[in-house]
Amino acid sequence: MQRTKTDAAGAAFGEHIRKLRERRLGSDPSFSLRQVAARCGVTAAYLSRVERGEVAPPGEATLLRLADELGEDPDVMLALAGKISTDLRSTILARPQLFAELIRAIKTMPDNAVLRIVRDVRDGNW
Amino acid sequence: MPTLENDRLVFRFPQIEQDACFSIDFQRTLRIPDTQRTYSLPPGLGTFPLRHVEDHADNLPPQTTSRGGVILPMWQAEAMWLSFRNEGPEWGLQFPVAVKVAAGKINAVTGEGWRSGLHREPQDYVVSPEQPWLDGFAVEKGVIRQFVAMPLGDGYSVEEQLTGEAEWGGLQILVVPLKTRVWQAKRRAWEEQRKRRGEHGSTLMEEASIRFMACESMGLAAGGRMRQSIYPDPFTIEDWDIAAAERVFITLLHARDWKGITGEAAPNEPPNAKDYSSMDLPWFDYYGKDQAALPGGAALGGIKSVANLFQGMTGAKLPNSGDVETGAPKALGPGAQGPRPVRTLGLWDE
Repeated sequence: MQRTKTDAAGAAFGEHIRKLRERRLGSDPSFSLRQVAARCGVTAAYLSRVERGEVAPPGEATLLRLADELGEDPDVMLALAGKISTDLRSTILARPQLFAELIRAIKTMPDNAVLRIVRDVRDGNW
Repeated sequence: MPTLENDRLVFRFPQIEQDACFSIDFQRTLRIPDTQRTYSLPPGLGTFPLRHVEDHADNLPPQTTSRGGVILPMWQAEAMWLSFRNEGPEWGLQFPVAVKVAAGKINAVTGEGWRSGLHREPQDYVVSPEQPWLDGFAVEKGVIRQFVAMPLGDGYSVEEQLTGEAEWGGLQILVVPLKTRVWQAKRRAWEEQRKRRGEHGSTLMEEASIRFMACESMGLAAGGRMRQSIYPDPFTIEDWDIAAAERVFITLLHARDWKGITGEAAPNEPPNAKDYSSMDLPWFDYYGKDQAALPGGAALGGIKSVANLFQGMTGAKLPNSGDVETGAPKALGPGAQGPRPVRTLGLWDE
């Protein structure tokens, strides 16, 4: 059977998850398929199918738990699964024209140029 | 949240006014002589570079990254002034803000320890655009002592003098916008006035704005005496929207450490006052619109300048601290006539 585009994306995502997990498993036995699945609130059988690309990537809540568990950036994890976070989605939908124009305007800029434009100055503890 | 744009801290308040914008840049300047004489305003000699703390977190102490904000390089005993710029929905209609400035968490206007919010009796903030810049600690009515950088822990900073501790260093800034209803009333009054006059009037800040241009932590110490008034708030304390306030911590790093931390070359050291004056370059005086001035901070009146402390510690006179000839200063402000000179980096930073 010919693989669809969605299947290919799911397979790439699954492979990424499996590599992240197995890298940690090399030094920490608690990163077995079964234990990671348990900590993320899914069954080992389901996580195994995700890793093999047999099912679509899980929902946002599970993806965020996986990101936390495997030390991946949450936004990167969501993007690999073809999703964007709920807060980003609602931000864009609140001002769709503005953000559509902004993203189109900056899509080819190098990272440092984008950061110069849009980054907030973070406040801390003082 | 504030943003960092071209070495300028930018504060926007779109929830109050779509085009409301206030920004601060940190101007490099020469250190005025640290004597009994009170000097005119020195020029701006270009802006200090600012970088996000988290971009260089691997090369900074954890306490610096935990404070957030930005980093800035200063040479020892280099001086700075804060340049304020207000923008609004139309040319000539600027969005006012209250600005609280502290060095080492010591308020630069009152000398009190850092407190959130705004206070009167004594007023612990300035209002921009009425106050177009701030050059130092308000030590008495109409006089400030210049912000100059000294290594934190050497006993020179105002923080160390007043608290006995060298804990914070750097600069702390709080910006508070007007409440929406107060701003809208001000905007309506401005629009009606413009209709009556049938023209676009200029404002104090535009006329005054051309004074522009022409890993060791640092703290700000008190340098030489300079004529500069701190103006009283023309609004009431209730007019300010404390809930919409934004704040930033600016960590001052020794400029010699800048390249190692950021990978970028630090700015050259600025000229000293003697070299500057020997080239017959101008000094400035600001003339406000018959504005009253606040008294200096009670706790700041007794602080010692770097030259006084240096002499007390070493018995020697601080190098390059002798008086210089400055000629007649050029007038800035609402009463000033004619074009004003612009200082650029090319004059000295080559």
